[in-house]
Amino acid sequence: MAMQISLAAEKRTTSGKGPARQMRMAGRIPATLYGARREPLSLTLDPKQVLHILRSESGHNTIFQLTVAGGETTAAMVVDSQREPLQGRLLHVDLKRIAMDQVIRVKIPVQTQGEAAGVKLQGGILEVVTREIEIECLPAEIPEHITVDVSGLMIGQNLRVGDLKLEGERRVMTDADRVIAHVVAVKEVVEAAPAEAAAAAAEPEVIKKGKAEEEGAEPAKEKGAEKGAEKEKKK
Amino acid sequence: MLMPKKVKFRKQHRGRMCGKAWTGGELSFGDFGLKVMEPGWITDRQIEASRVAMTRFVKRGGKVWVRVFPDKPVTKKPAETRMGKGKGAPDHWVAVVKPGRILFEMEGVPVAQAAEAMRLASHKLALKTRFVSRSDA
Repeated sequence: MAMQISLAAEKRTTSGKGPARQMRMAGRIPATLYGARREPLSLTLDPKQVLHILRSESGHNTIFQLTVAGGETTAAMVVDSQREPLQGRLLHVDLKRIAMDQVIRVKIPVQTQGEAAGVKLQGGILEVVTREIEIECLPAEIPEHITVDVSGLMIGQNLRVGDLKLEGERRVMTDADRVIAHVVAVKEVVEAAPAEAAAAAAEPEVIKKGKAEEEGAEPAKEKGAEKGAEKEKKK
Repeated sequence: MLMPKKVKFRKQHRGRMCGKAWTGGELSFGDFGLKVMEPGWITDRQIEASRVAMTRFVKRGGKVWVRVFPDKPVTKKPAETRMGKGKGAPDHWVAVVKPGRILFEMEGVPVAQAAEAMRLASHKLALKTRFVSRSDA
């Protein structure tokens, strides 16, 4: 993992949405640092530097050197991030202190390699079901991604987590039966006939309440209708 | 058309659409998606028209996921009816979407084909949308 990357942070004394918004307006984002059985720290970061880390080859599993102004310098990684849903701007980041001699659990992206035989020969679609798997390993041994060869998959066949073979002392923590990728047949698109569409336009079933409530509801409706009729007569 | 099988009440209030889509705003199934950029109602007919446009364009190529469901009934009074006499009869169903919501997802096609399919789908909708892919994140 890329320990050469360093990230500068400043301590934060304020909390709450008001100061956080002011901070974002000023071009920084709030963050928190925790882990390694030490006190959590509230920080502010430059979002550009964090995005640079998240967009690197190793992504959110990048271990970098975090330097807090006037405080500690520690190895850390991004464990969670909040983004604005429209533009994708970073809003907040959770950082975790990493002890390089202790095993940690991380989620590694799965990349497929090759063109599945079921896609090439049978006209199926390769569907990647699981895009990340959880592994346990030492921080220095975190792989950037796990490559799986899907070239042998035919329609109806799948590749499971149990089929993966990891190097070194890495242990897969995700359920071994979980499907990573499978090849499915293309469903023929059947155009619905107009008559069927009209039949489908009927109203759905209304979940009925208890009898007592129904009886109470009906007179109220009738009253409303009577009032309306009286008004009409007056006009 | 998409509609619920069972409902608790036949008619609903119109409601408000403030804020952004803090859930359902990321790609969950496919590699490409169509993200809505403004709040609004998407009708069952619009969803179906978009889905048909996409599946016709990709033919036997990709797989399409529809991430919204029209679960809100919209009522309408008959034509040339005086005001009053209660709320109209249920007419159609809509999905309420907020900015940032992923409407459709697609997998199994090249990026250019997916973008064109999503463009065709977006023309069936009355809201501003944007094509998104996993590599953008």
